[in-house]
Amino acid sequence: MSFLRLINSDAPWVRWTTFAVSLLLGAVIWELAGRNANAVFMAPLIGDAQAPGAARRLLEFIGDSHFHDAVLSSIKLFATGFALALVVGIPLGIILARLMLLRVALESYLLVLYATPMVALIPFILSILGFGFWPKVLVVFLFAVFPILYNTLEGARSVKPELLEVAGSFRAGEWSIWRDILIPYTLPFALTGVRQATGRALVGMIAAEFFLSTSGLGEVIMIASRTPDMASMLATIVLIAVLGVLMMRGAQALEHRYAAWRGVDG
Amino acid sequence: MSASTSSAVTAVKVTNRLSRVFAGRAELWVKIIAGVVILLIWQIVVGAFAPRFVAKPLGIASVFPAVITDPDFLAAVASTLGAVLQGLCIAVVMGVVVGIAMGRVKVFDRLLNIYINGFYAMPMVAVLPLLAIWFGYESNARLATIVFAAFFSIAMNARDGARAVPLEYLEVAKAYRAGRRYVWFDITLYSSLPYLIAGIRLASGRALVGAVIAEFFVSLDGVGMYILSHARSFKHNEAVVGVLALAAFGLLVDWTMNWVTRRYLPWSRRT
Repeated sequence: MSFLRLINSDAPWVRWTTFAVSLLLGAVIWELAGRNANAVFMAPLIGDAQAPGAARRLLEFIGDSHFHDAVLSSIKLFATGFALALVVGIPLGIILARLMLLRVALESYLLVLYATPMVALIPFILSILGFGFWPKVLVVFLFAVFPILYNTLEGARSVKPELLEVAGSFRAGEWSIWRDILIPYTLPFALTGVRQATGRALVGMIAAEFFLSTSGLGEVIMIASRTPDMASMLATIVLIAVLGVLMMRGAQALEHRYAAWRGVDG
Repeated sequence: MSASTSSAVTAVKVTNRLSRVFAGRAELWVKIIAGVVILLIWQIVVGAFAPRFVAKPLGIASVFPAVITDPDFLAAVASTLGAVLQGLCIAVVMGVVVGIAMGRVKVFDRLLNIYINGFYAMPMVAVLPLLAIWFGYESNARLATIVFAAFFSIAMNARDGARAVPLEYLEVAKAYRAGRRYVWFDITLYSSLPYLIAGIRLASGRALVGAVIAEFFVSLDGVGMYILSHARSFKHNEAVVGVLALAAFGLLVDWTMNWVTRRYLPWSRRT
């Protein structure tokens, strides 16, 4: 009983030990599973020289120029699609919030698009636009743009009418209304959309690399799955997972940083 | 003030005045008119600039009745939705057990949190080849993908729900010397239900995406494959009906979850 109480206590050393034990347990389970399973199904975490595991392979990848190219091509795809989603999603969201008629007209349709699984559009993109870089960018863009657009729209919509009325009665121009009211007010909401969009864009990136012309990290996984070279596959998956967690954390930090800008009752 | 900004201001004023005129019940008409305009633009632009096989609203409308009654299409829908529902059930049972255990027992939380969060943030497409190798290129791989896509968001939400049990309830239960069984099943479970519903909602979207991707990847009969094969053979109108079926399922789940929350979970803090 006292042991149960101890491991559930909030003392920092208990917390950190549990965390370390958790990592260690995961690693041991992976290693044992990898060593005992058929090499076609599972690779160990570390392994030995004959049968290198995922961690060894990841270290090898660091010095491998092919792998560098793959990572760079994935990053280029992600960044281009995501940047386009930002450039389109945020201004369009504010414009829609500003022009009430347009918003009422389009809002429900945007919501339907937001709810539609974008992967289902990949076959159309493939058969209309074919292979190449830009069709893949379009996939990333489509995955990322709707959360950004929708959250920006919701944010810009909640701008207090008093602010706009005061600005109007001082004859503020449209540009200064945007610069001093709409953009600062909407930013925290837009960042919520950005956080949701990073995860989706990453899914879009991998999906595009799988199902359109294979390239980047998706291609590394595909080639490894055909061999099958489980160590390379697991190493790449771990890398993508780490990338996903890091980007999620980064976007969360950004969101928290500007959360204070959401007015007191906003 | 330059001429362009003043004209922009006028444009904003005019449209906002217009929308006030249209306000109230007329909103519906605005939406309908906008829908018609969107479809018209789609029809005209695609008709003028795109290859002939690209889907157009009139083309979709003309094939719609045939597709909806096509036994192949119905079988595909049944196969995909059946797998999604089955996968969701498995994920809910596992996710609730793991999530509530994590929410109530700190050791479990500290042991599992990094894995649950890590797998949640990981794009599930990336593990698709792995699941295909493990579960074979057949429907088990799809089910595994669905469970994988759904489990982590349900577990995370169940955990948050179990942690958000109001302290007063637990104190009252303690004051009356309620057994652990009552604390878990009569207080924790109910109080975390709204969170769980939110988790299921999130998970069902992910599960649907997982099912479609898995069908693409392992060439399995279902809505995803229906879309893929028709898009490949340049029958885009038929393929779009498949997309509509997916969107309809997403909206239906959203609507159902909203309704369940409103009707049966009045203690939910959502409005």
